[in-house]
Amino acid sequence: MSDKDDTETPVVTEATSTLEDGNCELSENSEFVDQSAKPENKSELAAITRKRPESKPSSDLETSEVLPVEASQAVGKETVSKDVPQTGWGYWGSWGKSLLSSASATVATVGQGISNVIEKAETSLGIPSPSEISTEVQYAAGETNANENANSSSLIGPFGVFSTISTAVQTTGKSVISGGLDALEFIGKKTMDVIAEGDPGFKRTKGLMNRNSTLSQVLREAKEKEELWTSNEVTLETDKKTHYGLLFDEFQGLSHLEALEMLSRESEIKVKSILNSLSGEELQTLKLELEQLKEAFSLAEFCEEEEEEKKDDEDFTKEITELFSQLHVSSKPEKLTKARNTAYEWISTSLAKPSEEKEDGEKQLETEKIEQISKNSIEDIHAFAIRSLAELTACSIELFHKTAALVLHGQKQEVTAIERSRTLSQMTIVLCKELSSLSKEFTTCLTTAGVKEKADILNPLITAVFLEASNSASYIQDAFQLLLPVLEISLIENKTELPEA
Amino acid sequence: MEAIWLYQFRLIVIGDSTVGKSCLIRRFTEGRFAQVSDPTVGVDFFSRLVEIEPGKRIKLQIWDTAGQERFRSITRAYYRNSVGGLLLFDITNRRSFQNVHEWLEETKVHVQPYQIVFVLVGHKCDLDTQRQVTRHEAEKLAAAYGMKYIETSARDAINVEKAFTDLTRDIYELVKRGDITIQEGWEGVKSGFVPNVVHSSEEVVKSERRCLC
Repeated sequence: MSDKDDTETPVVTEATSTLEDGNCELSENSEFVDQSAKPENKSELAAITRKRPESKPSSDLETSEVLPVEASQAVGKETVSKDVPQTGWGYWGSWGKSLLSSASATVATVGQGISNVIEKAETSLGIPSPSEISTEVQYAAGETNANENANSSSLIGPFGVFSTISTAVQTTGKSVISGGLDALEFIGKKTMDVIAEGDPGFKRTKGLMNRNSTLSQVLREAKEKEELWTSNEVTLETDKKTHYGLLFDEFQGLSHLEALEMLSRESEIKVKSILNSLSGEELQTLKLELEQLKEAFSLAEFCEEEEEEKKDDEDFTKEITELFSQLHVSSKPEKLTKARNTAYEWISTSLAKPSEEKEDGEKQLETEKIEQISKNSIEDIHAFAIRSLAELTACSIELFHKTAALVLHGQKQEVTAIERSRTLSQMTIVLCKELSSLSKEFTTCLTTAGVKEKADILNPLITAVFLEASNSASYIQDAFQLLLPVLEISLIENKTELPEA
Repeated sequence: MEAIWLYQFRLIVIGDSTVGKSCLIRRFTEGRFAQVSDPTVGVDFFSRLVEIEPGKRIKLQIWDTAGQERFRSITRAYYRNSVGGLLLFDITNRRSFQNVHEWLEETKVHVQPYQIVFVLVGHKCDLDTQRQVTRHEAEKLAAAYGMKYIETSARDAINVEKAFTDLTRDIYELVKRGDITIQEGWEGVKSGFVPNVVHSSEEVVKSERRCLC
């Protein structure tokens, strides 16, 4: 790994210089924001990733000059200036810088759409004031008592994903980080809102039920940009390993998502035409029942259970399997649980301490093994983390897709649509929590493996893992929302079939 | 998986339930024989890169469809965006061969206004002793519809690679000749990100091709 660094240095410098060019473009022509932002940010991230601590600070300087500008373009200048001490970036500034840079990088990488929509968000919503942002975040976190000072408790993201970062906050520049994360959270939330703006009814549930821009489109665009980028640069295989979008597609997540969207759309049309054909009391009764169903989809429990108990390894598999059997669909979650367990096995190997395993007799062997393990560089851990998150998310969406197909076309089951909705909602929560705790495990790995690394090398990787986990959780929740019309149709069909039976 | 590819083709795999569609695809994409016990639900997705000429890679997105009738309304939706297809029957199951005709009729209806380049695949050719369909009659049927015929076995890895790459090559030739063009709103063929792309989205809607299947 390390011997590669020398050969890559030219690339790094190049990347930095194009970054500047791109930035001019950025301010001149906002249409180019996402095309140009993507490669730059990525190479910037790559540069940070590969840079050794002893590499020249000159490139550092350049990036720190450029990136805040860029980030503030996306986030709104007030956000940055509000939380960042006006005295300059200083030491803590590097935290903020890396956060912001990886913020824009991730925005470009994950949801290609997100960077797409930023533009839209800016034009259609205006750049929000800091207070708007913090309200947004508070709303998202389900916290009412959070204050502008952003103490660590207000950092808790929708699914507790960011809660571990609060520890880091105490040791580093508190406000800078919170500014960064708030902004990221904000971008995510606002983006979803913009996408969902055509359908106010779904705003609360944050579902991407908009007819013009579906989640899979958003993800597909992002993936295509990643592809474009990876093929334009004659990249190393390692570069691709951290592209969430590409990996998500490789695990067929995109295809399953599209398939799910298709089923959802068809069901939605059917539901509408049925509702149109009804009137009077019949319509009212049905509407009431559909309302109940919708309630089951609101994921209200999320906010109540911020506390996460440390769970046994077996628990997740058991819980998911149980929930699945409650659904009464023939599909099995084995692929998902296998992917999840593989990730945990990898983590535990990666975290294995030399002292714990050493036996005098096998000392030699063990030492070799340990060397092998410790060869997992932070880059390796980061790559594996992103890969695992992409795989788990893809598997989850596949399961939702299969569930939809079976609810629509499977054998009739003795389980109501409402019961199924509750189970699915429970499952969504379990899955999101799992992603959250998995990302914590991975960042623990990163922290352990990267003790000797400088913060500006390690931190972007940690941030990226948290962000992708948070995004993953959003995708899963959006996919879950796509199941609503499917269950509505199922409810209606069961209803109409009952009298006959 | 390399990100660099010239084109992406979407292929659909259809045929009666239990003829071995999923096994064939998994042999092709995963390189092993998986005893798939559960019938496919709706559709499944696989992908693989194929090198048709040195340095020229094509990404295949393979849609594995459920053979079961109850999922037909789902699988139908996938014909339209496929450029090629493998129509499977089980050489030890005469019924699945007789249904080939129906499958072709069904696709014809749902693929409009596009067309799919099909190859007829006689699967499970390792079970020659239980054969219920002769190679000759299968070839005759295929010829009548302008398809190629190939016999494969996922278990023994016979002709699996060939079935997919031959089809890919045929489609590639058609694309090169301009008989198949990339179109907006059609996912059958997409160009990769390699500079020497031949397509233009402005090109006229696909010329009426004679039956290529």
